[in-house]
Amino acid sequence: MRDSLGNWLFLLPAVAFFLLWQVWPIIQVAWYSFTDFRFLDPNAPTTILGLPKNFVGFQNFRNVLQDDLMWKGLMRAALFTALFVPGMILIPMVIATLVDRVSNPKLATAYRLILLIPAMIPGPLVFVLWKWMYDLYIGPINYILVNVLGLFTVRDQPQWLGDETLVFFSLAFMEWWWGLGYHTMFFLAGMATIPRDMIDAARIDGASEFRLWRNIIVPRLLPVILVLVVIRFGTAMAIIDEYLIMGAFNRERPTYTWTVYMWETAFVTGDWRQGYAAAIGWVGALAMLIVVVGMFYVFRTRD
Amino acid sequence: MSTLTETTSRPAAPARSREEIVAAYRPHQRVPVWTIVRHAVLIFFCALVIFPILWVLLLSIKSLPDAYQNHIWPNAFDFSHYGYAWDKIPTLRQNYWNSIFVTTMTVIVTTIIATLAGYGLVFLRAPGKAIVIALFVASMFFPTRVTAFIGIFQMQDQLGLINQAWGLVFPYTALSVAISVFVMRGVFQTIPRDLVDSGRMDGAGPMRLLLGILLPLVRNGIVVVIIINFVTAWGEYLLASRLMNEQGQWTLPVVLASASGGMGAWAWPRLAAVYIMAITPGLLFFGITQRWYMRGLQEGALKA
Repeated sequence: MRDSLGNWLFLLPAVAFFLLWQVWPIIQVAWYSFTDFRFLDPNAPTTILGLPKNFVGFQNFRNVLQDDLMWKGLMRAALFTALFVPGMILIPMVIATLVDRVSNPKLATAYRLILLIPAMIPGPLVFVLWKWMYDLYIGPINYILVNVLGLFTVRDQPQWLGDETLVFFSLAFMEWWWGLGYHTMFFLAGMATIPRDMIDAARIDGASEFRLWRNIIVPRLLPVILVLVVIRFGTAMAIIDEYLIMGAFNRERPTYTWTVYMWETAFVTGDWRQGYAAAIGWVGALAMLIVVVGMFYVFRTRD
Repeated sequence: MSTLTETTSRPAAPARSREEIVAAYRPHQRVPVWTIVRHAVLIFFCALVIFPILWVLLLSIKSLPDAYQNHIWPNAFDFSHYGYAWDKIPTLRQNYWNSIFVTTMTVIVTTIIATLAGYGLVFLRAPGKAIVIALFVASMFFPTRVTAFIGIFQMQDQLGLINQAWGLVFPYTALSVAISVFVMRGVFQTIPRDLVDSGRMDGAGPMRLLLGILLPLVRNGIVVVIIINFVTAWGEYLLASRLMNEQGQWTLPVVLASASGGMGAWAWPRLAAVYIMAITPGLLFFGITQRWYMRGLQEGALKA
């Protein structure tokens, strides 16, 4: 018993940080979601630990569920997710297949390293970079399209971030660029576990490259694919930095999702209705959780 | 090395059909179309990956008129933008220092606590280990960062850490503690138990075992954890922008995200220079440690 107490000292620092700055804030947010707490209201009554005590029961949740903006926000996030996830998985899978077949070890390493470069740039800096890439005045993309290729004129050039139908595609492309190398590494690790004899044997039997890929490589990678689908679903549905950096608080734009709505309610408009924003956050999180649990259920039965 | 030599110098696989062997020794062998296509596609994607970075680099050394006429190759180069931005953006030195301080502290603290916890979870007897693991896993399938945000804001507010850049170290450490512990746990799991048991027989305590025997063996995992935390903390935007209202307390991502090509020190090529200054440390560190990083990914991170 003495021993295990001493052993706990090894776990304690990590657990403490996790509980204090992750678990406790989430519990706090849950508490807020049952109050009418407004941050800028100086008379907001509070109890110990600074928690507000003006309880309103489930009123916030009832309002959130009837809030058109919330539903729109969830639908927009889901739409982006539907675009984001397939590309984030299929493109790296194809690239990994190609890199895996490069037999010169130095070249194979070089490809991996180059593709990994974007993964070493933190997300928000990636978003800043692509905000400039898509810029209409200095951005190189439209320069190439308009001045080099002559496909567009300055007047009808694509508004990558301004156009409502284009913006999700532009953002997804940026995300794929960012995640390409990192996800390729996952698939390469998965492919390394496929016995070489199996592939050689299939090749000698005359299987075409495509059939080899479909019938041997993809099934072997399925566990990796399923894990990545779940994880990237979580990423895409809860995206916020991109929308704050590249979009704004225009409620008509597709980038105004539930996360941006939560942010605007909590920190921008009115007297910061953080009680209501907390309810938005929890409803969004629960909606995501339901889908994640559903995915686990579906994927498990397939094994 | 060219694609041609790559195909011809490939070592003979043990099981090959007769036709293949004949084909391999035929003079003037054609490079298979597949090989060419494969390399063409890969080179195309590599170019796509590099292009934006090269473009900013180029933008940061263009002369001002060239930068605003947006052709990609400038007529005249101007290398003064780095010095200009460094001198003329009043808070830049402070912002840079904030980023360095917050990131370094976060990386050090998280690496130490994740190593301790990873070791504890694999080799030590501690009741409740399963609960800890379950909590960490659950947090990875929950939109923790977004949902916790208002709570973290309150927490920092109550602790008086609004507008204190160093205060970001606490939430930053918590931000990727779960994934860091998992990487370290995965790496510790690859170490044979016998090694630990024999160390115990010799009377080494848990701490001496970790520092004396195991630490060199988990080096690759530690590099992965350092890089994960470096990238997270160096680029974190949400907390840094919301918790810091004074420009002097900002970190680099907040400076860059809030600027959009103005006059003087905020002119485009000067912003690009700041951008290059912001991404260089990470790319340099990756360049130096990539060998261990790649191995570390194989050992622990990709299995999580």
